[in-house]
Amino acid sequence: MASNGSKPKPFEGLRVTDLSWVGVGPTVAKYLADHGAEVIRVESATRMETLRRAGPFTDNQPHYDNSGYFANFNSSKLGVTINLKTEKGKVLLKRLVAVSDVVTESFTPGSLKKLGLDYEELRKVRPDLVMISMPLFGQTGPWAHYMGYGHVLQAASGFNHLTGWPDGEPIGTGVAYTDFLVPHVGALALVAALDYRRRTGKGQYIDFSQFEGAVHALGTSILEWTANGREAERLGNRDPEAAPHGAYRCKDGRYVVIACFTEQEWEGFRAAIGRPDWTDLERMRRKWSRLNEQKEIDRHIDFWCRERTAAQAYKAMRDNGVPSGIVKSPEEMHRDPQLKHRGHYALLEHPTMGLRTYDSPAFRLSKTPGGPSKAAPLLGEDTERVLKDTLGMSDEEFTELLVEGALE
Amino acid sequence: MTDPFDGVPHPHPGGPLSGYRVVDIADEKGQLCARLLAELGADVIKVEPRAGDRTRANGPFFRDEEGRESSLYWWAMNAGKRSITCEMRLEAGRDLFHRLVAGADAVIETSAPGAAKDIGADPRTLAKVNPGAVVVSITNFGQTGPARNLPATDIVGSAMGGHMYLNGSDECGPVRTSAPQAYAQVNLQAAVGAVIALYARGANDGLGQHVDVSMQESMANAMDNAQQTWDILQINNRGPGSGRMVSGREGPRYIYETADGWVAALGLGGLMGPTSGAMIDWLDQTGEAGPLTAPHWRERLEVVQPLEEDEQELLVGIMQEFCRTRRKDDLVREAQSRGVGWAPVYSPREIVESDQLAARDYWVQVRHEDIGETFVYPGAPWKLSGTPWKQRGRAPHVGEHNAEVYGDVLGLDTDEVAKLRRSMVL
Repeated sequence: MASNGSKPKPFEGLRVTDLSWVGVGPTVAKYLADHGAEVIRVESATRMETLRRAGPFTDNQPHYDNSGYFANFNSSKLGVTINLKTEKGKVLLKRLVAVSDVVTESFTPGSLKKLGLDYEELRKVRPDLVMISMPLFGQTGPWAHYMGYGHVLQAASGFNHLTGWPDGEPIGTGVAYTDFLVPHVGALALVAALDYRRRTGKGQYIDFSQFEGAVHALGTSILEWTANGREAERLGNRDPEAAPHGAYRCKDGRYVVIACFTEQEWEGFRAAIGRPDWTDLERMRRKWSRLNEQKEIDRHIDFWCRERTAAQAYKAMRDNGVPSGIVKSPEEMHRDPQLKHRGHYALLEHPTMGLRTYDSPAFRLSKTPGGPSKAAPLLGEDTERVLKDTLGMSDEEFTELLVEGALE
Repeated sequence: MTDPFDGVPHPHPGGPLSGYRVVDIADEKGQLCARLLAELGADVIKVEPRAGDRTRANGPFFRDEEGRESSLYWWAMNAGKRSITCEMRLEAGRDLFHRLVAGADAVIETSAPGAAKDIGADPRTLAKVNPGAVVVSITNFGQTGPARNLPATDIVGSAMGGHMYLNGSDECGPVRTSAPQAYAQVNLQAAVGAVIALYARGANDGLGQHVDVSMQESMANAMDNAQQTWDILQINNRGPGSGRMVSGREGPRYIYETADGWVAALGLGGLMGPTSGAMIDWLDQTGEAGPLTAPHWRERLEVVQPLEEDEQELLVGIMQEFCRTRRKDDLVREAQSRGVGWAPVYSPREIVESDQLAARDYWVQVRHEDIGETFVYPGAPWKLSGTPWKQRGRAPHVGEHNAEVYGDVLGLDTDEVAKLRRSMVL
């Protein structure tokens, strides 16, 4: 992590009320927090954030302040608890929004309207507000109220269909994939809207459907259907335009990936495996022809890899300029010299979880660097400070709200 | 065919980024990024060599007919941009490129670290040409570090970014998504970096800066909670097949075959946890609950706790039988009405035919007047109330906008353009 404290951060002076929860919304707000905005994550103990109840927990002790899952998405934020089901809680939220520039939320559509806290109401207290709503399927339509997580949205948005082996089940990625894809789509619109506001003074409302964002990451799959009338299918590790192209198991049980799109890469590959006779066969000499021989090519590579460790196989490929790599485990990612050099995993001290790693943005800004600056907040850690310092609330009023349960 | 065609890209004065100009010299790692900026209003100028950009040779092709104007990849990633040709390896070409950058707000480039210098597109040179420009450099591993110069493609980004390890299964090994996700991820995350740097000009005296984006890191950010699971528990999550990995353990399957495809249904179709009662009721009503109606099952399933292998088998069996005879959309509708968060496994065709997307008026018709066709493209990723997204028409032909860009933007007269054409710069 870049730690040049004297450099300005892009969003310094910007305040965000973050009402979102689980994966997508908090990750969008994390972008703002990691780049200098004061992001106030509003939660309630009466409806505990799903990820505070999901592991991994430090010391394997399930507790809402021990979740690594929650922590990673909420770096650099402040934690405030407000019970929006109470009248005073609603009034309080409006006071917070009145001094905020941005509101982020991911409730089921209609939830905030029921509370009288939708964009139409909130813009009354903050006319230049930029607000983004980001449930799975958007604010309207027959699926608007549908529930689910990234694991099932990846199914609806085509990633299961396109991940797996051709003769096998549509297994999808092994993760809640869209939770780690659509936040970038949402953040793009939000920051673009903020830049527009910076130049014009005008706020606006963004109706973001995670589903509709995810479809833009399907490459050519949609056009293959609408223009060519053909369905893209899952191809295992093959690629329609490269041969060889795959992941190969080595002697030590680890996998290397190898991809040859160009003749130059193929020549590098031949050199890496010692130019055996089969690579010199007529049908192996041109890519269009090799594409029909992938089964045989893979058999040769499997055989070659079986006699080498993944590190040996990778080195041979790398030394010959072949696009290649090792399928890295989470452990290897933590030890990866490149990621270490880049400071990708920021180490931050958390009050109950101790020193933990947080993901950094995939980009470094040369003049206004960002990155996680503070561990995730404990539940309600900053409630008193934000209410008294930011809203100028008196001790009496704070105590009153506390006693009446508005801050649960 | 008789309708007037006003050319592409269609004007978009109402976007949040309208008024900005972006110069795009990117490959697969940056073209989607630049396209999204165009759809948010920026004037994006794609700079190609005279023979056309290398990625015009990327398949698949319209009706499988290879050609530099028929790549569906090119159509998908470059719609809404203007195209000019410019040989940046020639000094005269670099001069023109620099004149273009002098009037631009951002440059998107994807050359290998150090290589941008050869074409005059390195951040230091560009900062001299235009200190206000944001220069977004998208590379495999970032501009610095021991791996910075290693070659990579999508599958390498997926493998070295740790994401691929989490896909697939013990028996079959890791697998990548057939629609390239390392490319998609790095494009999207670069776009966020680009707009943050554009925004930062407000607090930074109008100065641009260098945005150094790594494909490896973009995939590292897609590891779900596996990063923290290693950090906290020293457990490696891995590919769970058709199940779901929880702290290094393979959970029960979450996809179930239906009469017409598959559904995705987490937590044993909702049988585990707070929705278990609703699921048991549903199974009970159709007479397919088997032993689950017994009170001890209701109690056992309501609190999420690890199941014994034989219990898991029983439950999966019930779910599989239940789904097998029904249609996925019917199952999902009924599950959702009972508060259980299922979704169908959709193919691209089914996404295009989705009722939800139709109700949202999602799809756009894009006219390809050059071949007399109109095709459906994905629509607005967001509905912005004040500054809407807009699809701006088909992707440009090679050098389609030479005259207007060199003429109107750079102020060259027709003789000068002709001269540059003769000297093979354009």
